[in-house]
Amino acid sequence: MPVVTLYFNRISKMLGRKVSKEKIISTLPFLGLDIEEETSDHINVEYSPNRPDFSTDYGVVTGLQGLLEIKLGMPLLKIKKGKNTIKVDSSVGKIRPYVVAIEAIGGKLDDETIRQIITMQEDLHNGIGRRRKKVSIGIHDLDKIKFPLVYKAVERTHRFVPLNSQNAMAISEILEKTETGVTYKHLLESNKVPIIMDLAGNTISFPPIINSKLTEVTSKSKNLLVEVTANDKNAADDVLAVVAYALQNAGFKLHSVRILGPRNSTPKLESRKMLLDPVLVNGMLGLDLTLSIMIKSLRKNRLDAKVKGKQILCLIPRYRTDIFGPIDLVEEVALGYGIEKMEYTIPPAKSAGQKNKTTVALEAVRDTMIGLGCLEVMNFGLVGKQTQYDMTKRDSSGIISVADSKSQEHQILRDMILPGLIDTLSRNIHEPYPQKIFETGTVFHRGNPIHEEIHLACASAYNEVSYTEIKSVLQSLLKSGFDIACTTKNSQNSLFIEGRTADILVNGKMIGTIGELSPQVLDNFKMRVPVAGFEIKLTGLIFD
Amino acid sequence: MSQVLHPIEQKILRSLLEKQNVTPEELVENTQLSIDQVRRGIEWLKFKDLIRVTESEKSFVKLGARGKEALEKGLPERQLVGYLKSIPVSSCEMNQAKDYLKNEFSPAIANAKKNKWIEIYENRILLKGYHDATSEERIIKTIASNPNATAVDKIDDKEALDSLKKRPGFLDFASTKYTTVNITEKGISEAQNTSQVADDSTKRAIDVEAPAPIAFAAKSHPLADVIDEVREIFVSLGFAELVGNSAQSCFWNFDALFIPQDHPAREMQDTFYLKDMNAKSVATPKQIKQVSMAHKNGWHYDWRVDAAKKMVLRTHTTCVTIRELADKKYDEARLFSIGRVYRNEKVSYKHLVEFNQVEGVVVGQNVTLRDLMGLQMEFYRKMGIKKAKFWPTFFPYTEPSLQSMIYNERLGKWVELFGMGIFRPEVTRPLGIKNPVLAWGGGIERIAMLRYGLDDVRELYNNKFSWLRSVPKCQ
Repeated sequence: MPVVTLYFNRISKMLGRKVSKEKIISTLPFLGLDIEEETSDHINVEYSPNRPDFSTDYGVVTGLQGLLEIKLGMPLLKIKKGKNTIKVDSSVGKIRPYVVAIEAIGGKLDDETIRQIITMQEDLHNGIGRRRKKVSIGIHDLDKIKFPLVYKAVERTHRFVPLNSQNAMAISEILEKTETGVTYKHLLESNKVPIIMDLAGNTISFPPIINSKLTEVTSKSKNLLVEVTANDKNAADDVLAVVAYALQNAGFKLHSVRILGPRNSTPKLESRKMLLDPVLVNGMLGLDLTLSIMIKSLRKNRLDAKVKGKQILCLIPRYRTDIFGPIDLVEEVALGYGIEKMEYTIPPAKSAGQKNKTTVALEAVRDTMIGLGCLEVMNFGLVGKQTQYDMTKRDSSGIISVADSKSQEHQILRDMILPGLIDTLSRNIHEPYPQKIFETGTVFHRGNPIHEEIHLACASAYNEVSYTEIKSVLQSLLKSGFDIACTTKNSQNSLFIEGRTADILVNGKMIGTIGELSPQVLDNFKMRVPVAGFEIKLTGLIFD
Repeated sequence: MSQVLHPIEQKILRSLLEKQNVTPEELVENTQLSIDQVRRGIEWLKFKDLIRVTESEKSFVKLGARGKEALEKGLPERQLVGYLKSIPVSSCEMNQAKDYLKNEFSPAIANAKKNKWIEIYENRILLKGYHDATSEERIIKTIASNPNATAVDKIDDKEALDSLKKRPGFLDFASTKYTTVNITEKGISEAQNTSQVADDSTKRAIDVEAPAPIAFAAKSHPLADVIDEVREIFVSLGFAELVGNSAQSCFWNFDALFIPQDHPAREMQDTFYLKDMNAKSVATPKQIKQVSMAHKNGWHYDWRVDAAKKMVLRTHTTCVTIRELADKKYDEARLFSIGRVYRNEKVSYKHLVEFNQVEGVVVGQNVTLRDLMGLQMEFYRKMGIKKAKFWPTFFPYTEPSLQSMIYNERLGKWVELFGMGIFRPEVTRPLGIKNPVLAWGGGIERIAMLRYGLDDVRELYNNKFSWLRSVPKCQ
């Protein structure tokens, strides 16, 4: 989850009323923010990507002002009609078709404001922007730009000086040599790439990769241009709204930028209207709130609300992209009212609960195994190939792998539990013997497309262990647990010593294997005592 | 480098130092080990190059049909002697003897002559000389005295054996494969290094107040105990248990829960996709159509069924619950499930790639957010958790959404426990679920860590016997 940093002295000034640090910290969770780290001068909080407005301290302060009843209702976005234009060329239509922009005039950028804006930009890129695939943002020093701008596609031989460079580079070079170029070049599939060029012929932006050196924003920049390019017009407007609110809160005046061109339009960033039925609110929450309490609760969450007939008419600011329908407003009421004020109720159960049949049968297996002197262990189902196949010398042709695992030890699904038990024994060679262990759990085989069944495996390790002993455990489990008789038939298995291993049969059907583990396998696991074990399929035997 | 040998290996090696070239059966005699132990010890020592095992053949002999007859009646020549002794003057015509001995006549004459027991004179047989037992007769007795087959190399008189072998039907020969064990150079030095075990079995008074060793009780896994406890609580609150598969299609794990197909949680960095595996069919055509519409209307993109068919390891158990609700369309229900879920994370003290999740749902016409919180508090109370509270949070498929925070007395801070909410209409409506659904769930390992005072979640899956054997069953 993304993180936003809040400096106490900075947000105290922004809140507009003196609020203690403790009050701020205890209120933040009720905005859905998780406190990650707290120091004397700042606090880091995690926010959910569905609330991109929390990507700056400005957005968090807007939320806090509501819950602390410093400011209620929807913050207004004031956009003056600007005189500048971006023309969209049809050549971007199949590459990255949409652009929207806004000007921010006359602000002051200190280091922390710049840092907040940069992290907002990154968070928006990763969240709504889907790692820049859907949306990307460029922020420029407006005073370096000569309007009108044109958004068009160019060849990869096109050259300009990118950010963090002194020399002009070809597009193809930028994609190979700059950090962002390498990271995001996969987003550009066609030969031509999109750029934004000004009247002087200067390339100011190469979305979604990098801005130009020319328009770099510094602490001296007073006027900004924010351009947002996208594959989705709606998402572009969402992002522009979030940035616009943040810059307005940072003290900038907003001017619109006219967009001309096929499929494009100048963004309006208007608030949305939505009707809320109070019956839905009280029904979902289990409360009996009056219309006026509901309206105040909504306004505490920085929405506008008023009575309209028997319903509530809400106004939702453009940056609240998380509100889909009335149910989302129900939550806004709950949070504005205060979930901590809601009393708990326990609905009566109308029927008795029950365990699944499989669970009941498994409990019987586990109880009986424990009665037979075996200690229960628990291993993972997602395991490493080495222990599962290589060290146990087993055939790996039916292997089922997961893609891109971050860990070597969790790459394939186990088809057998016993290798894991040997591994467990090998990690406990310094513990007193005898060691008798068992595990029940899911194993996986290729099927249609995948077949899951529950197995039981048991292993016994100590100097006097024998085939006879482990067969006795098997027979006793099946007999005293389930009144099932089994037979063992001579077989071959690379896991076990030849001549000391057998297939396990019940009513002529093979349900598993048993034997003394082969010395080679045990040596692979650095085991120094002999081990005997068995594994049986419980699915189909004692439950379906 | 000397290796650690266990007592079976030590006994076998020491015995081989005294007597080489022995069979496993002989080793049983020499070492007083069982045949199972000896056989296994041999496998082990062979693998370590401490002994050499040779497979050979060995011949055995038994009496044949004629041999058994001879044992009863004597060899033909002995029968001839007996006959001659029984008649006057101890002599007879050849034909008389032939009538008496029938088929045995020729060998009787030949061998009696060879033994110098008779003379033939003008077609009459005359008895003469001494009639001591022959070496052939002795061999028959020796072989007969052994109830099993007799090893050929145990018979000293090879000449007699050979001559008896030439007489058809008296002896049956058979050969058996057998194993002999010899110690290697390496084994000799290993055996000499091995210390002798002192055997002191003197009985005397003992210190009855001294502590006795702890016996390790076999028991269930501590995490399994917590899982069982959670299950019992759900059952006591009137919930019925569901079980479902770990491998699921994206459709039930994500799409049915209104998680858009380009959502970051669906990326391979977070979710385990099964390589080259797609579900053949994921849901009914109607379910697919409705879910697809919900995505188009809510998220404004082209929903693709092939992305929904990809197989993943479930990232939560909600996929099992939602499918049950979609298929059965309960108006009222209390269901729960407990199972493994998977996340493609870096394993750390905080995170596992695979853990157990419990999930509960309540379906009902009049269920509310207050009911959801009340059920949580009841569950925590039964788990022995005294302080709990709720904070808002976000999940794509519930609205309102909350998380419960419980107070960890040991760490002195609030920690997150369960996530919960009411299923969004975008989830329930397309699947034909009419009434509100309260849903909540979370990791059981987190509860187990609280219970057992662990700071590192990996300890639950280390299977350290020292911990498993010592952690008290009842806490």
